[in-house]
Amino acid sequence: MIKMLNAIMVCTSLVGLVGVYGLKYSVEDIASDKVRMERKIERQEGDLSLLKADWSYLNQPAHVAPIVARHQEALALVPTAQEQFSGMANLPMRPAAPDPAALDALLSSLDAGIDPIEQLIEAN
Amino acid sequence: MAIITEGAETISLDGGRKSRGNLTKARIRWVIVALVLVLGTVGGRLIQLGATVTDSTIEGVARDVITASRPPILDRNGLEMAVDIRVPSLFAEPRRIIDVEEAVQKLRTVLPDLNEDWLRKRLTGDKGFVWVKRELTPAIRDRIFQLGVPGLDFVTESKRFYPSGQEASHILGAVNIDNQGTMGIEKHMDDDSLAMLQSIGLARGNEMTPVSLSVDLRVQHVMYEQLQDALVRYKAVAAAGVMLDIKTGEVIALASLPDFDPNNPSTLFQDYNGVKNDRFNRITSGIYELGSTFKTITLAGALDSGKVRITDKFDARFGVRFGRFTIDDFHGKHRVLSLPEVYKYSSNIGTIKIMQQLGKDDFRAFLSKIGMDKPVPFELPEMRKPKVPEKFSEIVAATSSFGHGLSVSPLHMARAVAAFVNDGYMVPPTMYKRSEAEARQLYEPVISPATSAEVRYLMRLNAIGAGGSGSRMNKIANGYRAGGKTGTAEKVVNGRYSSNVNFNVFASAFPLDNPRYAMVIIVDEPKAENAQSGVTAGWNAGEVSGRIIQRAAPMLGISPDFSAMLDTNLVPPELR
Repeated sequence: MIKMLNAIMVCTSLVGLVGVYGLKYSVEDIASDKVRMERKIERQEGDLSLLKADWSYLNQPAHVAPIVARHQEALALVPTAQEQFSGMANLPMRPAAPDPAALDALLSSLDAGIDPIEQLIEAN
Repeated sequence: MAIITEGAETISLDGGRKSRGNLTKARIRWVIVALVLVLGTVGGRLIQLGATVTDSTIEGVARDVITASRPPILDRNGLEMAVDIRVPSLFAEPRRIIDVEEAVQKLRTVLPDLNEDWLRKRLTGDKGFVWVKRELTPAIRDRIFQLGVPGLDFVTESKRFYPSGQEASHILGAVNIDNQGTMGIEKHMDDDSLAMLQSIGLARGNEMTPVSLSVDLRVQHVMYEQLQDALVRYKAVAAAGVMLDIKTGEVIALASLPDFDPNNPSTLFQDYNGVKNDRFNRITSGIYELGSTFKTITLAGALDSGKVRITDKFDARFGVRFGRFTIDDFHGKHRVLSLPEVYKYSSNIGTIKIMQQLGKDDFRAFLSKIGMDKPVPFELPEMRKPKVPEKFSEIVAATSSFGHGLSVSPLHMARAVAAFVNDGYMVPPTMYKRSEAEARQLYEPVISPATSAEVRYLMRLNAIGAGGSGSRMNKIANGYRAGGKTGTAEKVVNGRYSSNVNFNVFASAFPLDNPRYAMVIIVDEPKAENAQSGVTAGWNAGEVSGRIIQRAAPMLGISPDFSAMLDTNLVPPELR
């Protein structure tokens, strides 16, 4: 009876041993994964900060202006003059729409062989 | 039996069991002693370990502070003006370095600019942490890692980077290598609240809420470019300018030349054309005699008091005498001038008469009212106290009325002009974004809206009227309804006013039919651009103002309008 109990306890402790070690190693793996990821994040954050800085540098008027100056001649770039600005109110009114009915009448009369211009010339 | 009894001593012998028992007890005692000793050692070591304070500082500075990040600074449209970049910094642990000589030689293959002796001294010893070189690039970090020298490692530090370069240098200021603000808005951010400093220390690597400034980088660029152009065009020694939103007090642009590179703050201390300490912020920490631009202030004060009306006439035929001195006009008309003519022809005599009609004490009181005798409340820490005499004598009052004998900063002038065209409401200028509703809480009436309308008319008249000193400006900025006053102050050379070395100012506002922006431009010691041009303020500070308005007004959403009606509407009813 006692021998049986001992055997069971030895088995249990062996299983426990293996389990605990397995757990320990898996935790260590996860921990090193975490560290690796943190390093990666840190590196990417660093890269991102550089890219952001780059982007804002490229967007600066101080950076764009020399480029404009360099291509000024080729692209005929000049600062906008006051006279080039206008408002909606200054736009001319839309021209009167064409009269489709009269146009249709003209076309049909041309089709019928009657040219109003010719008639005018003949009348004179 | 007798033999036994005669023997005196009794021999007693322990039994085998007893002697074994004694031996075991002795052994147990020894084991206990040994265990106590071992456990005591372990316990003592534990206490020792627990009592050790780990040194988390790096050469006396807390690690958090070094790696602290600062919030990004944005302009009013969200464009970055200052950002943090993460850079590796190389440090060494000398106590872990095995072969110093090898480490020195290997390091110098990657960083050849390090001094060999200095490096050897640095790496020798028993220290736990020494900086070798800070703020390196990731590429160099990788190369140093490949050297495989033990005892070298990196800390990621935050480094401040200013993408706009020199353009906004005096606004932004600079930080030191430990990322603490040393000047400009960076210093103000640190001084602003201790809580924020602490949060910087704690907020390592966290994204921080960006700080929005009131500056418009596009306008800032235009102003910077035009001021640089002015230095070349007029061979001036310095130029500076500031533009304010009159309704909110926000600074739209602020530049001062010569300047420095905030990415390399030591450039601030470089000589400029052989002059030491010349790269200061002339707008806030320079005080000058601003010359005739002060006539705007004198006239505004006089008109607001009611003692002088816009329809009044003043005798400017003869100079005003003070004992031995006679004050005369520069381009004198020498006739009776109306008040608008006094302003347009910039008559010193007329202005003195107007000031005298107001009274010198009332004039001095008006200067206090518009804050001319105190530093302007402003975020930038670089400030200098203005020099305004506490009490005016007759002659000092007379010279002060046209801007001589008292020194104020250009920012003072900009704030005053802004108040004069903003229906008389003065608002403290700010570098941070501020809404009009917030600004209204800070409004302080200095002149009445009626006087404000008259000042607007005078400023515009000076730009459109024949012979007005602002006409050169208006020719360039035609359509943007700008107006202003020139100031040509003679500079003091060897203790006397020199007639050919000038300090020129142009104080303007636009668009005057519905004012929104005020601007002050200064050009120091300008020369004539060509043989035909002059050296007075209209020729340089005025033209610079015109070019800035011409470029910046469309960016600020002001469309040109050439209608003469707008100018007619500005004329006060009494003069129509």
